[in-house]
Amino acid sequence: MPDKTISYEELAPGYKFPAASYKLSASLVSKYLKAVDSSGDGFVPPLAITAITIATMAGSIPLPPGTVAIHASQELEFFKLVPIGTTIECHTEVAQKIARGKMSMLSLELEVFDQSKEKVQSGKATVALLT
Amino acid sequence: MLTEIQEGKALNPVVKNITQEKIKLYAEASGDFNPIHVDESFAAKTPLGGTIAHGMLNLAYVSEMMTMAFGRSWLSGGKLRAKFKEPARPGDTLTIDGKIDCVEQKDGISYANCNFECRNQKGETLVAGEAIVKVSSDDK
Repeated sequence: MPDKTISYEELAPGYKFPAASYKLSASLVSKYLKAVDSSGDGFVPPLAITAITIATMAGSIPLPPGTVAIHASQELEFFKLVPIGTTIECHTEVAQKIARGKMSMLSLELEVFDQSKEKVQSGKATVALLT
Repeated sequence: MLTEIQEGKALNPVVKNITQEKIKLYAEASGDFNPIHVDESFAAKTPLGGTIAHGMLNLAYVSEMMTMAFGRSWLSGGKLRAKFKEPARPGDTLTIDGKIDCVEQKDGISYANCNFECRNQKGETLVAGEAIVKVSSDDK
């Protein structure tokens, strides 16, 4: 799991969060499908992988108390089907950080690989932070 | 699945109700416990005035619509770009719809370029964006 040694102020474009690995177990996928009210088709929903990647990254940024973080935009590309039971490795890097008064925007590049080191998806998440 | 891929073709819409219980389930499944989603007293004191659904939950519904239309072509080769314009809140009924804007050929491969929107029961657009799917020969 990523550590929490970096502060939000220290984040700068190019900063790479420590990679995080997860096994996409049947129980995890089942829990996700129930949450999104969907039936699935034997593969891991790509948005489940994105959600876990973003949550991992978000959990490793110690935001000042009271900060409201809102997802502003998302880009995604899927490269292959991901069978249930796959172990993924999530890589996240700060792409852009903009501060405007009490609001700042943080853009992060995401890349996810499977255990064969093949890329399964990539994307960019932009989060608005209100203080 | 769509039986024919052609410009202007509407995708079957997805309709979902947002509840605080669903938001909680999503937080538990994704690991995203951002208090704006799950802490009602915290959220009430913010400019948003209450909890909101995860943007990725709304996007999961978009992906469901794309999966219904394009099947594994979407899961293994889809591409999307989305803007979260307004939050979805508990009590909202979301309708996600989209259509094929155009079908393009590139290097002998067909791509369906779609647009999509997620609206609430008041007709307000909460999420809007574009999605591209490589259309395999099986889909055509």
